[in-house]
Amino acid sequence: MTYASMTEGQLDALKEISNIGMGHAATALSQLIGETVYLRVPRITVTDIGQVPELLGGAERVVAGVTLQILGDARGNILLIFPAESALRLISRLLGKEAEGMALDELGESTLKEVGNILASAYLSAMGSLLHITLIPSIPLLAFDMAGAVVDCVLIELSQASDLALMVETEFHGKEPNLEPIKGHFFLLPDPGSLDVLLRAVGGKE
Amino acid sequence: MNSRIRVGISEFHVARAPAVLVTYGLGSCLGIVLCDRENGVGGLAHTLLPSLRPGIREVRMSKFVDTAIRLMVEEMLLQGALRERIVAVIVGGANMFEPPGGVPANAIGTRNISAARDTLQALNLPLLAEDVGGNYGRTVEFDLATWQVAVRSVRTGDRIISI
Repeated sequence: MTYASMTEGQLDALKEISNIGMGHAATALSQLIGETVYLRVPRITVTDIGQVPELLGGAERVVAGVTLQILGDARGNILLIFPAESALRLISRLLGKEAEGMALDELGESTLKEVGNILASAYLSAMGSLLHITLIPSIPLLAFDMAGAVVDCVLIELSQASDLALMVETEFHGKEPNLEPIKGHFFLLPDPGSLDVLLRAVGGKE
Repeated sequence: MNSRIRVGISEFHVARAPAVLVTYGLGSCLGIVLCDRENGVGGLAHTLLPSLRPGIREVRMSKFVDTAIRLMVEEMLLQGALRERIVAVIVGGANMFEPPGGVPANAIGTRNISAARDTLQALNLPLLAEDVGGNYGRTVEFDLATWQVAVRSVRTGDRIISI
């Protein structure tokens, strides 16, 4: 089973459980920053691996990437990408610091990893209980660099079997309309063998 | 006025001056520059994986370090290069996400680098310079008019390799 051979119905099912998982992740994030977080999922796409850096705003754009492995009944990776300015805004809001002129220090790095951990855990536990399977996230790893470089190691894993990636784009907004939005991109990258597990659990025919 | 040619993921391009071959944001991917300066022919590849696993059907052979090098050499020969004059520069092969226990020896970036060294040695092509490893991303610009390979990084600054 590959993304290319998925039917419309299977893709819709995967999008739907992804939406629900992201909803839980947003709730977790809103508890973390102490304000209501509105979530928008503008796009869920199955895209060519080569196009992924473009969707993130260009291969040279600086981003913060947090990656976690999915362990348990299904395997794969979760990759969370924040554009540099959104990452710094998120840290400043979480730590109650001024965002202006902020650089990413050790505290900022571990804050971002923790955000990744909370979002991924909320997402996976929602998905797991929905599908009656166990999904556990590994410890988060972080990189702050060019988008192309940050995503390529995760894409490499994927490209051994397929040239397509399932990408869920997500935007987080706080309730303050005058605050700059924090944007994030959430990638769910199931291993090809695990895509079957997920689709069976969703009830899609193979 | 030069003409910039963008080399995407799993692609390679062979060109002549005034072309500038560019590939953006190499992480564990490996950028491979080959050129025959005397004949004015050069190429750049953006590869993802060391080599094709047996038993897997694959259409994009330029995704792999070993096949991309071989295909690029063939293309350069067609465009007038001489095999014994071709030299190589490799860039990239970083390990962007460092696990707490350190980078494993079989990390993909490291495997890409050794695949390139092995393939170049097997083809008897000299490896002129390399800017590889570490945990940061790189962009490569190969100017066929000046024979300079510019390696840019947002974390460590720029470096120019002259061929």
